[in-house]
Amino acid sequence: EEWDDEEGEKVALQQWEDDWDDDDVNDDFSAQLRTELESASAVAETPAA
Amino acid sequence: IETARVFDFEEFPTRDKVTYMYYTGRLEVFNDNFIQADKKLWYALGHCDPSKDANIRMILKYLVPVKLSLGILPNEWLLRKYHIMEYNDIVQALRRGDIRLLRYALQANEDQFLRSGVYLVLEKLELQVYQRLMKKIHLIQKQKDPSKAHQIKMDSILKALKWLQIDMDIDEVECIMATLIHKNLMRGYLSHKSKVVVLSKQDPFPLLSGKPCA
Repeated sequence: EEWDDEEGEKVALQQWEDDWDDDDVNDDFSAQLRTELESASAVAETPAA
Repeated sequence: IETARVFDFEEFPTRDKVTYMYYTGRLEVFNDNFIQADKKLWYALGHCDPSKDANIRMILKYLVPVKLSLGILPNEWLLRKYHIMEYNDIVQALRRGDIRLLRYALQANEDQFLRSGVYLVLEKLELQVYQRLMKKIHLIQKQKDPSKAHQIKMDSILKALKWLQIDMDIDEVECIMATLIHKNLMRGYLSHKSKVVVLSKQDPFPLLSGKPCA
C-alpha cells in the first residue's frame, strides 16, 4: 500500500522555526523582568572607582 | 553457503521504511544522538500517511523534543492539531527565557514525559532557557544604557532568578554562567572578583539553529 506523498504531511514539515530568536523586549515577560532589574538592589551597589 | 543479500533501503515499501525510521529514530533519542534522531524522525514524518493523525502524533512526540534540543521550535498550530499541547509551555519558556515556566511544565507533565522517555531530553533545555534569559537581561540593559550593556552584574541575574522563584546563591549562578560559556551558548567571560559577566561584543548569544548543544 502506497500513498500520495504530495499532500497533507508536507504541512507538518512546514510548522517549524529555526530562526525564532529576536531582539524584541516588548512582551509582558520582558516588561516585568525590566521592572525587577530596575528595582532597588538587595545587594548594595559598589560605587564606581 | 549463500551470503545474505544486501538490501537496498529504498527497495522496501514506504510503510516499512517509515516504521523503521520511527523506531531507530527513537533509539537515537535515548542515545542522545539528536542529529541522527532528527534525520530519522523527520524522514518518518515526511513519508508517513498524511491521513493518519495518530501516527503523526506518535512521531511528533519524539521529534518535538529533538527539534527543541537543536534550537528549532514547532508552532502552536502543530501542537494543537496533533494534541501535543504538553509541549506548548516548554516552547513558551524557551521563547521568553522563563525558567519558572519550564520547571512548571516539566513538573505538570512529569508522568507523561517519563513514560515516553523524553523527560531527560527536556530537562536539558534549561541551559537554552538560561541563555535566553541572559539575552533578555542584556537587551533590557542595552535599551537603558548601551555603553554598559555588555557587563551583566551577578546581582542582576540573582534578582531575575529570585523574581522567577528560582532559589540560587551566587556560586550556583556562577556555575551556570560558566556552563553557558563552556557550551558556547554565551560568549564572554566571568569575573569572579568583580561579580560580573562580561559579554563578547560580537554575537554574545550564538543560536543553535540545528546543531546540538556542545
